[in-house]
Amino acid sequence: MTLLEVKNIKKIYSTRFGGNKVQALTNVSFSVEQGEYIAIMGESGSGKTTLLNIIASLDKPSSGEVVLSGKSIVTISEQQISAFRRDNLGFVFQDFNLLDNFSVEDNIYLPLVLAGKSYDEMNERILPITQQLGITDILAKFPYEVSGGQKQRTAVARALITKPQLVLADEPTGALDSHASDGLLRLFDEINAAGQTILLVTHSVKAASHAKRILFLRDGEVFHQLYRASQTQEQMYQKISDTLSVIATGGEHHG
Amino acid sequence: MGKGAFYPRLAVSNIRKNGKFYLPYLLTCIATVAMFYIMAFIASNPGLSQMQGANTITAMMGFGTVVIGIFAVIILFYTNSFLIKRRKKELGLYNILGMEKRHIAKAMFFETIYVTVISLIGGLLVGILFSKLVFMLLYRLLDFTVPLGFSISWQAVIMTLVLFCAIFILILLFNLFQIKLSKPIELLYGGNSGEREPKTKWPLVVIGILTLGGGYFLALYIKSPTVAIGMFFIAVILVIIGTYFLFTAGSIAWLKMLRRNKKYYYQPRHFSSVSGMLYRMKQNAAGLASICILCTMVLVMVSTTVCMYIGVEDALNMVYPRNVQIYLYECQDEAYPQLTGIVEEETAKYNLTAEDMVSFQYYQEEDDWNRSLFIGDKMAKALTGEIPGYKGQEYPSNAYIGFNLPGSDGAPPLLLDAIRNRLTTELAGQYDTYESETRGLMADSVYSLYGGFLFLGMFLGLLFLMATVLIIYYKQISEGYDDKQRFEIMQKVGMSRGETKSFVRSQILTVFFLPLVVAVVHIVFAFKIITKLLAMLNLTDISLFISCTGITILAFAIIYGLVYMLTARAYYRIVS
Repeated sequence: MTLLEVKNIKKIYSTRFGGNKVQALTNVSFSVEQGEYIAIMGESGSGKTTLLNIIASLDKPSSGEVVLSGKSIVTISEQQISAFRRDNLGFVFQDFNLLDNFSVEDNIYLPLVLAGKSYDEMNERILPITQQLGITDILAKFPYEVSGGQKQRTAVARALITKPQLVLADEPTGALDSHASDGLLRLFDEINAAGQTILLVTHSVKAASHAKRILFLRDGEVFHQLYRASQTQEQMYQKISDTLSVIATGGEHHG
Repeated sequence: MGKGAFYPRLAVSNIRKNGKFYLPYLLTCIATVAMFYIMAFIASNPGLSQMQGANTITAMMGFGTVVIGIFAVIILFYTNSFLIKRRKKELGLYNILGMEKRHIAKAMFFETIYVTVISLIGGLLVGILFSKLVFMLLYRLLDFTVPLGFSISWQAVIMTLVLFCAIFILILLFNLFQIKLSKPIELLYGGNSGEREPKTKWPLVVIGILTLGGGYFLALYIKSPTVAIGMFFIAVILVIIGTYFLFTAGSIAWLKMLRRNKKYYYQPRHFSSVSGMLYRMKQNAAGLASICILCTMVLVMVSTTVCMYIGVEDALNMVYPRNVQIYLYECQDEAYPQLTGIVEEETAKYNLTAEDMVSFQYYQEEDDWNRSLFIGDKMAKALTGEIPGYKGQEYPSNAYIGFNLPGSDGAPPLLLDAIRNRLTTELAGQYDTYESETRGLMADSVYSLYGGFLFLGMFLGLLFLMATVLIIYYKQISEGYDDKQRFEIMQKVGMSRGETKSFVRSQILTVFFLPLVVAVVHIVFAFKIITKLLAMLNLTDISLFISCTGITILAFAIIYGLVYMLTARAYYRIVS
């Protein structure tokens, strides 16, 4: 079943008076199946973040359509968009985006509280997730008291607690050391194995090599795709590296 | 353009780019300069010292000048510290981009010069323009006739220039010192150093409750007005201490209690505001407590001075039921009947008739410490024919005679002298002390005293109000920048614009109105003791005081509300 469909997305940024126009996305189309684990790779300026923001409904495309389980998110009204985001999407960011004034527990509750859920319900949901992520014993602590890896696990817990249809991760390993990165990526594998659809945007070859499919973005277009199929992670790592060097040296378009 | 002009130009663009912070700062500077000039102008005005009762007024205005001067130092330093804290990042960036600290200092120097020039010129212009208006207002209040003409007091101008140049130089030195001490990386992150969650300090909460309760208790249960003055100050100090402790420790304890109540805490509206306030309380509490005390001061000051001024007629009526009053203390019973005749004969010599004449004998009791408080009462009894006085005869009796002369609120001094002479010759040895008083003389000095109080009350009230709203404005705006990221995160995880708006509103509402509400509570408790103190000034009209206080609070709340709306809008614009 197709969960997310991105059709002919175009995004043009223009200055306030319409002077300079910058085309961030020229024409992007792809679709994500239920339970998939997709990584989007590309250099700085390739339009990754713009694409993610559009899928996250934080930004609107200049033209084109994004459909999440049959519903176009481009046309959702301003009033409903926050609720839509809250109910359907989970976010994991590079710099964690945890709130310093909330304890780890309250940070995880945040989207549920905004959705107006009762405390009992929230309390019921949190335990299985934190056990899986191994952060049960730091729930009472504050973000400035825990390590980077723990912060990112907290952010993952916050993304998962709403049982979102799609988890969007923007450079989740960007601020972590290699040990914490490995832990987090293993975690993503587990979550995905349990049926969660994940869309990951990254620079890191290692992070991308965990995904089942990799999209390469260049100059605002999908330049190339790789499927993992039955290959091992090491093989994928090699393939991704090769592709990236082809892109970097300016290979022909064969998407 | 030459190289030398770089720093002045940089300074101009710095001021422009920081408009959101510099504009209120400049306005504050201009307003403080103008207020100081006006006060100094009045205090040094030669016209005033020729008026009757001018000594008190001049002294009062001199006092006002000193208060404004001290206040100017505090408020300008305070607002400047906000400004410099906000700008640390910008300065750090300059530093990292290769400007040396002495170059930054140069730019700051020019900025200070601009600020000084703008505020002095602007402030003095505003001050000079308004001084005439304020002067007329003061004269109206004092019941003086307003002299014509427009003048500038060079003495006041020089005083203003000296004081504010000194303040601005000090501020510049302070800023340079701050920059010298800091490291570039700290400058760059100066705006957002992380705050830890504050701990609950129960002993302080208990001390706060005890001192505040003690202050309230004293204010409510003081019986005698003579003890009231001393006790009033003790009560005030206790309440101030209590306010500080409760705002600092009590608020944290209270917020933590709210947080422990899961049903309450985990609601969209309370969730972020409770934790947000808890997070900020450590820096905010002292500021809020100061604002609260400032509010209380303004409200008490303005409402009592207004009440005193409005009630001055009543007070005069109470002390002077008749325009001319003569007392003979320890007057023997045989002498008393002759009193009326002597007064009538003497007034007749001046072709005047004494009207509404009342005379009686009374016995002064031990706790009749303030004659004016009971003379009206005695007179009422005398008029209804009820014989006044103390029955035990242990106290010597006094004689009173009061009358009005047509078309005057006093009496010719010669007439009073004549009466006195006749009494000393004809009734020699039959009384102890003679005393005469006229309403006219008293009215002049009372009007100038109370009018001066009112003027000072309003003027300082305005200044404090300005300071209060300014402090809150700066606090909120600079917090807005700190909160920006928090709101971004919350919007990413699904907080809608509407929710953001209502959250901002409720948080700022609390910060704004908590001090005001507590100030009103303070006033309610202080009410009884203030009425007692006013009674010492012969003001017994409690309903007048109630309405004065009510109107003052209302006016204050309206101004406050306007500033709240402005601040909330500015804050919202920053975070969204």
